[in-house]
Amino acid sequence: MAQVLRLLYGADQSHGVPDVTTAGALALGVDGLSVSLVTGGDQTELLWSSHGAARRFEDLQFTLGEGPGPDAVRGGAMVLVPDLALVRHQRWPALTMEAPDLAARAVFCFPMGIGAIRTGVLTAVHLVPGPLTDEQITDAQVLASALTARALDTGGPHRDGVDSPHTLVNAVVHQATGMVSVQLDVPLPQALLRLRAHAYGSGRSLTDISQDVVARRLRLDNTGNGNGTPVPVSDKD
Amino acid sequence: MTREQQLTQVFVEVADSLIDDFDLIDFLQQLSERCVELLDVAACGVLLADERDVLQVLAASDEHARLLELFALQHDQGPCVDCYQSGQPRTNVNLADPDTARRWAQFTPAARLCGFVATNAIPLRLRGRVIGVLGLFQTEDRPLGDADITLAQAIADVATIAILQQRTLAHSELERGQLQYALTSRIVLEQVKGILAERWQVTTDEAFTAFRIYARSHHHQLARLARQITDGEFDTDQIPRAPDPRPHR
Repeated sequence: MAQVLRLLYGADQSHGVPDVTTAGALALGVDGLSVSLVTGGDQTELLWSSHGAARRFEDLQFTLGEGPGPDAVRGGAMVLVPDLALVRHQRWPALTMEAPDLAARAVFCFPMGIGAIRTGVLTAVHLVPGPLTDEQITDAQVLASALTARALDTGGPHRDGVDSPHTLVNAVVHQATGMVSVQLDVPLPQALLRLRAHAYGSGRSLTDISQDVVARRLRLDNTGNGNGTPVPVSDKD
Repeated sequence: MTREQQLTQVFVEVADSLIDDFDLIDFLQQLSERCVELLDVAACGVLLADERDVLQVLAASDEHARLLELFALQHDQGPCVDCYQSGQPRTNVNLADPDTARRWAQFTPAARLCGFVATNAIPLRLRGRVIGVLGLFQTEDRPLGDADITLAQAIADVATIAILQQRTLAHSELERGQLQYALTSRIVLEQVKGILAERWQVTTDEAFTAFRIYARSHHHQLARLARQITDGEFDTDQIPRAPDPRPHR
């Protein structure tokens, strides 16, 4: 799994990226893996897939607009289907009609995102029915959150320590994201990007910047260059 | 209210939670508040481990940013982490003890700065494993007795039951999804605090208080209402902005 994560953050990101799903499938011990990104609302678009069965399942969900993938994106929680043949018809009426013709017999969908920020979904498929082990589930979640970080990457140089996923344990970062989204009238993902851009630019941690925003010591401006302006003292209440 | 009456109330609330459509975050918050009363401690929080084994706050007896930060500080050190990793309770940890300060060099001074003198960490147990921790803070040097610790463990178990509440408990597939849903909901709630604070030009604490009062009085689930707000499906002007600020503890 470490190797997969290294691939994901490899120096050469221009090619070798689709290998992430192939290497990921191997590391997770699943038959196929796909990554779809949210393009707006609940709509997703396939980005990478390692296997025909994984791609076909994604295509079908996209066409029908229903299935474990859309559910995972909407609910922000994984949806595990160890046997597609046993799914109640009412759950996904159109999908269950098509299911007998699919090569995928078990699917496991892991949402990518941070709270209300939805970036996409990682889907693992099996050609035979059966559950994932606890360890496979944990690994898939770790991969999904690494993909989340990648999907939300500003494209700037990756600086270790500046915003490791663990800095996101701070409630203040989520609060600041919400505040900036209102200040700049942008969706939450962009608000987080702006916060991060400001952290990069100022050489401070995301937590520090977020604390300043929440305390209203800092307000990001709308010039789009990632700069923020400290709030003049007289404006503070 | 006597302790027995308080306990009865907790059990009634738990029974309510086992009926469908209950609000996990709100329930855990009320449980935390009850825990503070029952054990006569200053603050309490329910922490759940994520997939990286990092403890995340799901609910706390008060939502003051400093308390939340103190819990967040325990992502890599502190009695809660010890408790989570060992599965054993860490009780009556004296924050004034130099050994405590040496052991948790970041956590201890931060906790003392908040005015706490002692802390306890009780595991949330699920069959053979530990899924999170109940963290307790005290401002008075009054060690918890055996009966208190037994009660604290019972409250921790109640929290576990609530987190995993669903008719089909047997399926581990559902369990993992429920843990993740709870964590995601908490993050959405923090994002909404920020959105409301900025729209109304109040602090995040004030925004949350107004939000929670509105949700409770209109029987909305906190997590669901928060999602509607982030999705732009709920007009936040409907929420009265200036409730009476809660008195400081």
